[in-house]
Amino acid sequence: MEVRDIRDSAAQPPAPVFVARGLTKVYGSGDARVVALKDVDLDIRQGEFIVLLGPSGSGKSTLLNILGGLDAPTSGTAIWRDHHLTGASDEELTAYRRDHVGFVFQFYNLIPSLTVEENVRLVAQIASDPMKPGEALDLVGLSERAGHFPSQLSGGEQQRVAVARAIVKRPDILLCDEPTGALDVDTGRLVLAAIAKVNAELGTTTAVITHNTAIAGMADRVLRLSGGRIVREEPNPKRIHAEDVTW
Amino acid sequence: MVNVLDIKVLRDLWSMRLQVLSIALLVAAGVAVFVMSASNYRALVGAMDAHYRNERFADIFVSMMRAPLAVSDRLRETEGIGIVEPRVAKAVRVIRGDSVLPISGRIIALPAAGQPLLNRLHLVQGRWPDPLHPEEVIINSAYAEARNVRVGDTIDVVLNGRLQAFRVVGSAMSPEFVFATRAAVPLPDDRNFVVLWAAHDAVASAFDMKGAFNDVSMTLAPNASTPHVLEEVDRLLKPYGGTGAYDRSDQPSHRFLEDELAEQETLSVVMPSVFFGIAAFLLNVVTGRMVEAQRGQIASLKALGFTNRAIALHYVKLVTAIALLGSAIGLALGRWFAIAVVGSYHAFFRFPLLDAQLEPWLLVVAVLVSLMAANLAAASAVYRIATLAPAEGIRPETPPALHRFGWLQKIGNRRIPLQYIIVARTILGRPVRTLLTTVGIAFAIPLVLFGLYWFDAIDYMIDVSFGRVERGDAFLTFTEPVSADALYELQAIPGVLKAELQRIVPVRLRAGHRTYRTSATGLDSASELKVLRDRALRPIAVPSDGIMLSRTIARQLDIGLGDNVMLEVLEGSRSARKVTVRRISDDILGNSVTMERTALNRLMREGPVANVAALRIDPDQSGPIWSRIRSMPRIEGSSVKALWLALFSETIGGMVLIGALILAGFGMLIAIAVVYNSARVALQERAWELASLRIVGLTRREVSGVIFAELAVELVVAVPAGLLIGRYLIEVIASARASESFQVPAVIDPGSYAIAALLVIGAGVASFITIRRRIDALDLVAVLKTRD
Ligand SMILES: Nc1ncnc2c1ncn2[C@@H]1O[C@H](COP(=O)(O)OP(=O)(O)OP(=O)(O)O)[C@@H](O)[C@H]1O
Ligand SMILES: [Mg+2]
Repeated sequence: MEVRDIRDSAAQPPAPVFVARGLTKVYGSGDARVVALKDVDLDIRQGEFIVLLGPSGSGKSTLLNILGGLDAPTSGTAIWRDHHLTGASDEELTAYRRDHVGFVFQFYNLIPSLTVEENVRLVAQIASDPMKPGEALDLVGLSERAGHFPSQLSGGEQQRVAVARAIVKRPDILLCDEPTGALDVDTGRLVLAAIAKVNAELGTTTAVITHNTAIAGMADRVLRLSGGRIVREEPNPKRIHAEDVTW
Repeated sequence: MVNVLDIKVLRDLWSMRLQVLSIALLVAAGVAVFVMSASNYRALVGAMDAHYRNERFADIFVSMMRAPLAVSDRLRETEGIGIVEPRVAKAVRVIRGDSVLPISGRIIALPAAGQPLLNRLHLVQGRWPDPLHPEEVIINSAYAEARNVRVGDTIDVVLNGRLQAFRVVGSAMSPEFVFATRAAVPLPDDRNFVVLWAAHDAVASAFDMKGAFNDVSMTLAPNASTPHVLEEVDRLLKPYGGTGAYDRSDQPSHRFLEDELAEQETLSVVMPSVFFGIAAFLLNVVTGRMVEAQRGQIASLKALGFTNRAIALHYVKLVTAIALLGSAIGLALGRWFAIAVVGSYHAFFRFPLLDAQLEPWLLVVAVLVSLMAANLAAASAVYRIATLAPAEGIRPETPPALHRFGWLQKIGNRRIPLQYIIVARTILGRPVRTLLTTVGIAFAIPLVLFGLYWFDAIDYMIDVSFGRVERGDAFLTFTEPVSADALYELQAIPGVLKAELQRIVPVRLRAGHRTYRTSATGLDSASELKVLRDRALRPIAVPSDGIMLSRTIARQLDIGLGDNVMLEVLEGSRSARKVTVRRISDDILGNSVTMERTALNRLMREGPVANVAALRIDPDQSGPIWSRIRSMPRIEGSSVKALWLALFSETIGGMVLIGALILAGFGMLIAIAVVYNSARVALQERAWELASLRIVGLTRREVSGVIFAELAVELVVAVPAGLLIGRYLIEVIASARASESFQVPAVIDPGSYAIAALLVIGAGVASFITIRRRIDALDLVAVLKTRD
């Protein structure tokens, strides 16, 4: 799989599309109070490939879910272009997800009673400018399994279907929470390659959570979280290809 | 140490509390209806038995013109006869200032010693008459209550043509008069019929019966043959004008009681048992699905190393807790309703001891059946899931039949939104579960219909009996046979729109060794005020020769059209003749033999006379009409249809409708519980899938559509199926019970179908609304963290 070198585009940084300020997320109250995010500021530029690293419980998923409009922060603001994600109604968040966001999760979250092609088409049917489901499946190399049900696929294949489902609508943002968490090296690499390809070819702003520092090599920028804060930001001038990722 | 799984039982009960409550109410409804109704029926039968035993209800009864007391000794010597109680019992009339027409009554002589040997009195109020005070009487408590007669009141009685004032010293119940009926009126009319018990001398002298008797009650000796004894008694009493001995089955009060008990048995035992059986089945379906919806948890527990036994035990505890909760609620509701229902019995069944009491063994049966139904479902669901490899259970379930039905994969038509393809695949891909859920909802409908049906049946019975068969507004009985002059006299009264004469006499039918006592009605062939009908309610003409017979009598005598039957008149000439059955009528209320009046007159060797008149009157002129009628001689009594109707709805109607209301109410509760559970479980099974759909951007409305469509499809199939099942079950029950003489027709009004259908659909909509709130509140982030 060929991935275009995008270092040129990183040369002249575009304006940020995501702007988060003072994001704080608190769960529970009293003794059970857990602060998942503490006063997080973050800018993400158009087309950027971001990797989030950090120990378990550091708030990665919480941050990603807020960016994806699945969760609301306790305080702070998150703005994507002209969409205010904080304080938005459920309808607005649904529309935001529907029109702009593609998700990939650790557990694939495919619909068991729909075939591979239908799982992808499910999203295409509600998108404004989708690609053909077949095209999306081509991108992840699964066109020939289009008529199978998820239970007939391996975990890696299911995850690639999830990627195809996420990208079929040509999302502006692709959010992936441990997309390779349940996969072996080779399969994981295939999935990462698919994600990187989308980022490169469609210019989709991409954020990937992982425990795997090796994957960080693929990013434009690596964010390290700890205790609900972004403790370190590392630009990565030398992006590597998914094929070269090892773990 | 507390078992962690036990903590999970409590958590699950709490987190599913609405579902738990609905299942518990399902159990409660089944248990309450079954235990309460069956207990009440047993209480009724028990009260009858106790009354008959304590008050020594006789086995054999017979009346005659007059027999010397010595004859009673010959009866005592007869083989097969035990105790013999001769007495004087005569028809009388009671005059009351507040009643336009006389009230009919029966006076019975009490032995000087006090209580008779048989058919004793259960004194409700007051005291026993003093033999030295011949003016003292005890009256039946039903009349005392209906007419508000108190101890110390006087009562004016016409005995043998002479007016005599008695003083009421007490009121009593008697096993002979649990229902005090007169021949011409099919219902007990406590306001217009009174039983008086007075000292022997007072009665005997008034009727010139000193040293003689005209009525005798007897018990059968152990192992005696009833037909043989009846024959022997008839032979002995023939010279004294005996009107034919009969046993309890022909005793008017007992026969009516048996009919009523048969009806109560349908309402209280047969239907509640079917009801409970269906409830148990539904409990089974509902708990099975509830446990199955936890397949992820079961698989995880299994993966953690819990044995199938331990997991099954966990769910057994869960459903047992629900079933016990339901049983407790059912017991409380049952007790409460039992008191209400038995209260309604009191107005109708006059038994000294009739108390609401839940039968412990019925309760035990009901609770055990509920526990079994719930636990069998839970255990089999657990084993079905637990025998899968844990990994398979953890994976979300693919509809298993999906791969078998190739075409199911092709219904992904591009014009149908994919969320509905999901619905179609889930419904068709798991046909057994879909079928079971649909059948579950369908079976909830008969439970609602069971109750509603009785309202329709009662309406129908009233419409047919009082609207189409008995078409007169009022009926008069005469003290002696009257000729056509009486008819002209009645017709001449202004406001009487129509008058017809009828001849009604007590008869005994005999076919082979079977006999049946009833009354024969002689009608004019053009009779319009009494029109007998067949099952389709078409009028049947009175046959010009031979007789028309109620289907129930024909069945009991085992005869049909064209068969001959011996008709014995039990009055006057006491003639007997073989007659042919020419027509069969379908009577709902009361059974009879009908023939042309002149034919009956001929059979009785009398002129063209009658003893009953049916009238249609102008309601605006009823006042003047009745005062004219009052001035006519020879009127013995009257009944007004409007009063009958009131009586009917107060007594039988009121009692049946309370039972029906309870049945319908609990049926509705179950229907709601079942529908809610189906929807709730569908959500539980789908929560993960629905959240996934929400995450990829489907709106709340689109996602709710999945659950809504599934419920809608189930309802669309279940409602018509349920209505058909209900109709079928009611027909089966009605025809199985039709052998009893009280026929409750299997008629269901379209309105009842509509109510049952709307109720279930309404329950579906309400369930959907509550569930929609849960769908709206789905925690998308939480769903991402688990696979279940
Ligand atoms: N619903 C919740 N209630 C209470 N605390 C929660 C809830 N969800 C998350 N948390 C807490 O918030 C913190 C951050 O959680 P988050 O899921 O964002 O962590 P993470 O960085 O994604 O960890 P992991 O790498 O293990 O997925 C954790 O301490 C977690 O326990
Ligand atoms: Mg996480």
